[in-house]
Amino acid sequence: MTRREWLALAGAAAGIRGTGKAFKVSAPTAPVSIARCRSYNEDIAAILKGMFEQLGGLAPLVRDKTVTVKLNLTGSPGLRFEGRPLGVTHYTHPKTAAAMVHLLGEAGARRVRLVESCWGTSGPMEEYLLDAGWNVRSLAKMAPRVEFENTNARGKGKRYVRFKTPGGGLLFPAYDLNQAYDETDVFVSMAKLKNHATTGVTLAMKNCFGITPASIYGDDAGMDEPNERPSKGRGVVCHFGKRQPSRSAPAEIDPKSSRDPGYRVPRITAELVAARPIHISFIDGIETLAGGEGPWNQGIRYVKPGVLILGTNPVTTDAVATAVMGYDPCAPSGRKPFEECDNTLLLAESLGVGTADLNNIEVRGLPVKDVLFPFR
Amino acid sequence: MLLAFFLAVGATCSPIRWPFSDPKMLDLAAGTTLNCLLLEQQQWEAPLIARARKLKLTTLGVVRKEADAAQAASAGLDGIVLEGEFNSAAMERLKPAAVLAPRHRIPWDGPVAVIGTNQGLWPGIHVEKDGAARAAPTGAPWIDTNTGFLRFARALTHKPFWIANTPPPKSVFPVERYLQAIADAAASGAQWVIALDEDFAQRLQAGDSAALRDWRRIAELAKHFDSHPEWRSLAAAGQFAVVLDATAGALVSGGVLDMVATRHTPVRPVPLARLTGDRLEGAKVVVNIDPEILTDEQKQVLRRFAASGGTLLNAPPGWRFSTPPGSLTLSKEDLEKLDSIWREVNSVTGRRNFGARLFNVSSMLSNLLAPPGGTQLVLHLVNYSNYPVEDITVHVQGKYSKATLYAPGAPPAALTVYPVEEGAGLEISRLGVTGTVVIEP
Repeated sequence: MTRREWLALAGAAAGIRGTGKAFKVSAPTAPVSIARCRSYNEDIAAILKGMFEQLGGLAPLVRDKTVTVKLNLTGSPGLRFEGRPLGVTHYTHPKTAAAMVHLLGEAGARRVRLVESCWGTSGPMEEYLLDAGWNVRSLAKMAPRVEFENTNARGKGKRYVRFKTPGGGLLFPAYDLNQAYDETDVFVSMAKLKNHATTGVTLAMKNCFGITPASIYGDDAGMDEPNERPSKGRGVVCHFGKRQPSRSAPAEIDPKSSRDPGYRVPRITAELVAARPIHISFIDGIETLAGGEGPWNQGIRYVKPGVLILGTNPVTTDAVATAVMGYDPCAPSGRKPFEECDNTLLLAESLGVGTADLNNIEVRGLPVKDVLFPFR
Repeated sequence: MLLAFFLAVGATCSPIRWPFSDPKMLDLAAGTTLNCLLLEQQQWEAPLIARARKLKLTTLGVVRKEADAAQAASAGLDGIVLEGEFNSAAMERLKPAAVLAPRHRIPWDGPVAVIGTNQGLWPGIHVEKDGAARAAPTGAPWIDTNTGFLRFARALTHKPFWIANTPPPKSVFPVERYLQAIADAAASGAQWVIALDEDFAQRLQAGDSAALRDWRRIAELAKHFDSHPEWRSLAAAGQFAVVLDATAGALVSGGVLDMVATRHTPVRPVPLARLTGDRLEGAKVVVNIDPEILTDEQKQVLRRFAASGGTLLNAPPGWRFSTPPGSLTLSKEDLEKLDSIWREVNSVTGRRNFGARLFNVSSMLSNLLAPPGGTQLVLHLVNYSNYPVEDITVHVQGKYSKATLYAPGAPPAALTVYPVEEGAGLEISRLGVTGTVVIEP
């Protein structure tokens, strides 16, 4: 660990590697809403609207604003678990996205832009969604102005935008991202309630690991300039650190730091959400996967927790979601579900994004115990 | 006489390897379109044959040794099917109604009215020993299918073509696998000779209600395709053609044609023996799998195609498959070769629309067909997963205003057609095992 990293993490490292309670920074909190929803055939828009009302309403957040919604469409749409529709296993479900877009439009959002760094392609986001079984034509009519942007490369924008990591960064001092992440007033992360092979859980924050363009951070990223036709994932640069991103983007602070994905991915995630703040975090646990984040993981299973979680702070929302999954959101590295990794929530907390301490988080709607669904 | 009979009715025969000897069991076939029973030697008994005749069912004795043909003739059967390797002289002598030969011995140009093979893959998503689905080079699940071979066969012959593989032994399958086997063949213009596994047949014999329900679904799907015999004579449509022959792996499954099929790129197989300028009419890209074996005349056809603006991809020598004749699938070495071929083909096809582009079809295969010189398109879809697929989108090239979905057990359904950049778009909200979309101007 470099001195700079040490300063950034301060004593939080003790919390990450130790008890999880040893160090507390002054991190903000925000209430989190939990609702029961057992099927995608329920009136999701009505349930979600009620959840927003529990948090103070949606209109004050989005009226006359550009809202960018980061979906979770991880992995190729061709890869399915047991042949099931993607939305009931590891992708954002089109019905939750439709409900969100509808509510954003109803609340007066000026523009709603759906984004994702579509796996292995820089082609149109609309076609990726079609391949995932989404009705794009119908979705585009859910609000007055709905746009789609594949952020896996430069896309429709003219340039990449540099987002600096507050405090100087844990691994990277800044990230170059698609312009869509800059041209927004409100940023929404729509995630699934899932385990993750590398980070233990993948929720609203880890969803934003996917805002990094593969053109710069992908396995086939250009060495000097971005490769505007990426076709691979981000294992080499991000997970394993075997090479640096394109030279057009900032390199790692310390290339000699750990190459362990369990060290790197939580840090990248935490600094991304610190650099590109999330204003609305939504986690779909109606139907999902347990044991991993996608069909490529061994030992996964299809589960139906029947729950939705919503918040305005990604750490508090993820903390409650982690608790719903039966885990301690402040568990240190080495304890489940963070056996092989550092705790992303504590890292984000150390960066001042939000608190992971359930004692400091107000839960509205249903209490955690009523929807508890142990993932292991 | 038998030959004349089959020339007349072969195209309307719907074949099944009949698993029962009890004449009463023929009631199962009555009222279905399954009208052509393939009977094993121990079933060549008068009561069964007489009752079949009464029910207007055609009986064909399966003959695997020439010496058994005489018994078949005296049993009063309507005809015989030769299964296995028979030379042309034997076929002349025995005058079979149909021949089911190994793939490399199919008598494509002989006098037999119905030809086919008894070699086929059991269609479905390929599952590895650990239960995981195997991925294709495309990233989509690997689908075991006979479609590549059958498309090549349909490009080679207009005769009714049967594929008569049987379910893997000592296995029990859900009915969906039978439906997939029927649709896998039918979508390529062929007919699967229905064959039930032993367990299924026993349960049917015992009157098991679940087995009877499954049987009705099989009969319903057979009827779906038998009601549209015109679909079997349609030609492959689209602007992407692959020139290949038996030596270039056309007779094995899992080869280039299957690989292109998993991308849902409409592909026109052009057997080397049929390579003419007409066969390439309308094509924009031609992949020539084995340039070394072309005659000067065939080379000239391809040169003219390229000179007229078409894209010609001549494969390097390494593309030639080394799989020996008689093999049903590619060798491990050839499978690795397929990966590199995939990259080359993908660099040419990319995301282009060669007649149709389909979305949300990773567990499916499709086949785009058209009547020669016609304006209609027929798109077959087969779903190999155990779940219905929802929200399929199709973008076809050209101006079309009408589309109708034909699905088994359901009335034809009009689909909304809307303009897209490439031509016309349509959506299918839900599809079970199979469906066929007829698209018209």
